[in-house]
Amino acid sequence: MTHGTDNAWEHPEVQLAGGGYVAAFVVGLALMGLSFWMVRGHMFAPAGLAIAISAVAAVAALVQCVLLLHMNVSRTQVWQTVALVLFIPLFVLTIGLTSWMFHGLYRRTMMMPAAHAGAPATQAQAGGA
Amino acid sequence: MFVHIDGPWSPLLGRLALSEIPYNNPILIGTFAFAALLAVVLVGLVTYLGLWRTIWRDWLTSVDHKKIGIMYILIGLVMLFRGFMDAVMMRAQQAMAVGPHSAGYLDSPHGYLTPYHFDQIYTAHGTIMILFAATPLLVGIMNILVPLQIGARDMAYPYLNAVSLWLTAAGAALVMASLFIGDFAHAGWFGIVPVMELPYSPGVGVDYWMWAFQLSAVGTTLGGINLLATIVKMRAPGMTWGRLPIFTWASLSANLISLSTFPVVTVALALLALDRYFGTHFYTAGLGGNLMLYNDLFWIWGHPEVYFVILPAFGMISEIVPTFSEKPLFGYLGMVLASLGIAGVSWGVWLHHFFTMAASPAVNAFFSITTMAVGIPTGVKVFNWAFTMFRGRLRFELPMMWASAALFFLLVGGLTGMMNAFATNDYMVHNSVFVVAHFHMMLLLIVYAIFGGVNYWFPKVFGFRLEQRFGKMFFWLFTAGTAVVFIPMFTLGFMGMTRRLAYVAFPQWGPLLDIEVVGIAIYVLSAVFLVAQLYVSFRDRAKNRAGLDAWETSRSLEWMTHSPVPFYNFAVTPEVHARDERAWRVARGVDTVRPERYEDIHMPRNTAIPLWLGVLSFGLAFGLVWRMWWLVEVCAVAIIALVVIRSFDHDTDYTIAAKEIERMERAIRDVPSGRPAADDVIGGVPAFRQGV
Amino acid sequence: MSATTSGTLDAKKSPMWSSGHGHDVISTKTLGFWLYLLGDAMMFTALFAAYAVLGHAFNAAGGPWIRTVAHAGVAFRETAWLFASVLAYGFAMMALKKGNRGGVLLWITAALLIALGFLAVDGHEVMALFRMGAVPERSGFLSAFFTLVLYHGLHVVVGIAWMLVMLVQVASAGLTEKVVYRLLNLRLFWHFQAVMWVFMFTFLYLRGAIV
Repeated sequence: MTHGTDNAWEHPEVQLAGGGYVAAFVVGLALMGLSFWMVRGHMFAPAGLAIAISAVAAVAALVQCVLLLHMNVSRTQVWQTVALVLFIPLFVLTIGLTSWMFHGLYRRTMMMPAAHAGAPATQAQAGGA
Repeated sequence: MFVHIDGPWSPLLGRLALSEIPYNNPILIGTFAFAALLAVVLVGLVTYLGLWRTIWRDWLTSVDHKKIGIMYILIGLVMLFRGFMDAVMMRAQQAMAVGPHSAGYLDSPHGYLTPYHFDQIYTAHGTIMILFAATPLLVGIMNILVPLQIGARDMAYPYLNAVSLWLTAAGAALVMASLFIGDFAHAGWFGIVPVMELPYSPGVGVDYWMWAFQLSAVGTTLGGINLLATIVKMRAPGMTWGRLPIFTWASLSANLISLSTFPVVTVALALLALDRYFGTHFYTAGLGGNLMLYNDLFWIWGHPEVYFVILPAFGMISEIVPTFSEKPLFGYLGMVLASLGIAGVSWGVWLHHFFTMAASPAVNAFFSITTMAVGIPTGVKVFNWAFTMFRGRLRFELPMMWASAALFFLLVGGLTGMMNAFATNDYMVHNSVFVVAHFHMMLLLIVYAIFGGVNYWFPKVFGFRLEQRFGKMFFWLFTAGTAVVFIPMFTLGFMGMTRRLAYVAFPQWGPLLDIEVVGIAIYVLSAVFLVAQLYVSFRDRAKNRAGLDAWETSRSLEWMTHSPVPFYNFAVTPEVHARDERAWRVARGVDTVRPERYEDIHMPRNTAIPLWLGVLSFGLAFGLVWRMWWLVEVCAVAIIALVVIRSFDHDTDYTIAAKEIERMERAIRDVPSGRPAADDVIGGVPAFRQGV
Repeated sequence: MSATTSGTLDAKKSPMWSSGHGHDVISTKTLGFWLYLLGDAMMFTALFAAYAVLGHAFNAAGGPWIRTVAHAGVAFRETAWLFASVLAYGFAMMALKKGNRGGVLLWITAALLIALGFLAVDGHEVMALFRMGAVPERSGFLSAFFTLVLYHGLHVVVGIAWMLVMLVQVASAGLTEKVVYRLLNLRLFWHFQAVMWVFMFTFLYLRGAIV
């Protein structure tokens, strides 16, 4: 449907703009600062840190999607949101399944003395160093 | 910065030199002579008939979704012919080069093709059939049908649609250029690493393959965005999601796949390009690269691509079966969910292409199970078609014959696919011609659906039906050819024959390979009847003229406008009341094309920019292949400049007055039945004329 | 029963042809561009997947690894530049909301200049790495690392070029329908690359400080 006005800038999608941008800036920078601070100060063990910064990144991305990209279920934005929700599992699948497969592949086929922190050298099955 | 390549290089021509023209190969010279003769005849014919102006104004610069669709289909048919000729050559080679005592011709130890040439032919066959035949044919059909089925005037972005077309055309042209200038890749259609890396393939073949692939991938991604936005945003009033025609649902699912997976193959190939041009180490065997990464990224696209081509085929079958069963489709909701389900599951199955490559057992088990899960939504579809036919008034006209044969091939291909889905069984048949026969069954099902769809919608697009007698002979011969080629191929797979053999070591395989050649000969014979069918249909086009609804029992919205469809699709946008709107209106006696009043129509203006973008993309890719850096720079700058210049063009649309629409509509209606709508060769005048 | 509507609808009385039907050009354009960005996000995803595969120490093949090439402090400065540019573009959108052409021009110019600041820091960092011998062709790890960094940098360059074109169009054509949807698409593009930067910062630069 047309929006019934002559001024293109009165379109509802333009009217979405607002103070959320300032909030996105403050929250986004604060969250990134938090991650940076945690890593700098070695607040947790490496595995814990990895989980913590991943969680912060997820929250920051979510905040930006809502405040900057206006992901919501309003009339003008609903299809954008639906498309994003359909795609997020694909992002996770791509990286997750790929990492899973290569994790096993590296352990089973490649010679990786000491260099590989995750797998002890004894588990490299395809021959010694 | 660039990797140094040994060998001659000049600033003007890059790596291109006269020695790259294969003038000493009689096969390629013969092909070139044939192509050149064909070109001369076509150019002469067009000049004689004075059609240059029409071709330029009404076709090459068109942004009309129907014409773009037809041009897509033409590209697909030309490339289908090329891919078929490759198949003929492979069958002949394998039948000749059997056993150590078989004769050799043309510098080849056995048969008539050297192993290197043979490798290029199977690579070209696969690449062409998937990317430049099946994909353009289906994208073309979706282009024509989707806007008509949802009651839109055009696609959401008509200009982008033309850009997609010309990018695909540029890719196809690049594949064709590789025949006569340089050579083509020899690493299989999906590319084997590290064979494709520069040290092992220093020639231009891999570059040709890579850039042609890339152009087609970008074109298809943009086309997918266009179709998705069209379906979401351009539906006529009343066309709710629950009333969307099933082919449109299938297109929606297919394009969700294309939008989400083509970018991955773009990355896979871009990383290969970085390896080959800048010397990075993504897929190299040493220095921290990992060649399995290529397989992983490629098949993340590769397997969903199979469903990208099969879903529109399923959609076409779902439209044809109800029309010729004279019943509504059984289980609409199940069909919709099955389409979306196939699109969803397609994202979790890619690893079954490399079960044998040392992933851990848990990974193989996971992908084995997801692959088998594809059978569930597919099974739902098969049963829905069967129940649609059950107690229907079945009419075996040509579209229905193709569609029901497609079901048969779906069963054969699907069940053998289930066999391959078992990782344990895959260890036995991996890389054998059993797998080749399996996926040819699946792709042939798509070809059958396409022939069915072409027969079904031809009258909608051109205004007259295709002739049935020759058409049926073509159908039966084509089916016989399929059986005679692929039953022996399945058998050879069980006997242990591997793919891609330029020389067959076991003489006991010879007889079955000979039978395959007989099958190919039947295919060739069937093509004669196809040509005859087209010729007779065209000759008798006045007699076979179709009305609004060519089959009398069609159900969806596209049958509610004239045949051929005027360039503005519907004189007035229809209001939709039901899932099968055409059937709904016929049942209530309100199936008129005469609206109460006419309104102004807003249409996009023709433009030559997409065509130039295609030409420049071809130049860009050709320059990259031969490392002519000046050509790359000129084309890249010109592409960016054209895009920016186009963005300053404010005059991209025009309006047709209501009175003019009324006049054109009356001109169509006043033609007596039994005659072409005008003396125009195609069918109706307004169909292919566009205001400028 | 094929129809989803009830049989009670009187076909003779209900309208068969819609009148005054037009579609919303701006929303159609932004949806398509958003779909394109999702495809672009999938390209980032594939690059991140490649990085996940090639990010191990043995992929560095004895050359510089993540600890040496990723400097979290510099990256945090880049984050501040980038988010500030995104905020400036947000202010341009708030000016557009009121139809304030001068405000749009002013804030896009600001966003553009701040983005140049980001590029300066980013470029300086990459050049320093190149000078110390950490070049993409050294190892699989560095290939994957630099491809991600440069792919994001390419987005910033394209964004800057696009802002230049939009400055000219806003100044010459005014806030027409075409200009407005392009400004909206550029907003999507510019904010999208900031979201991608969140993942770059976390999984490239901060991860370097952990392992």
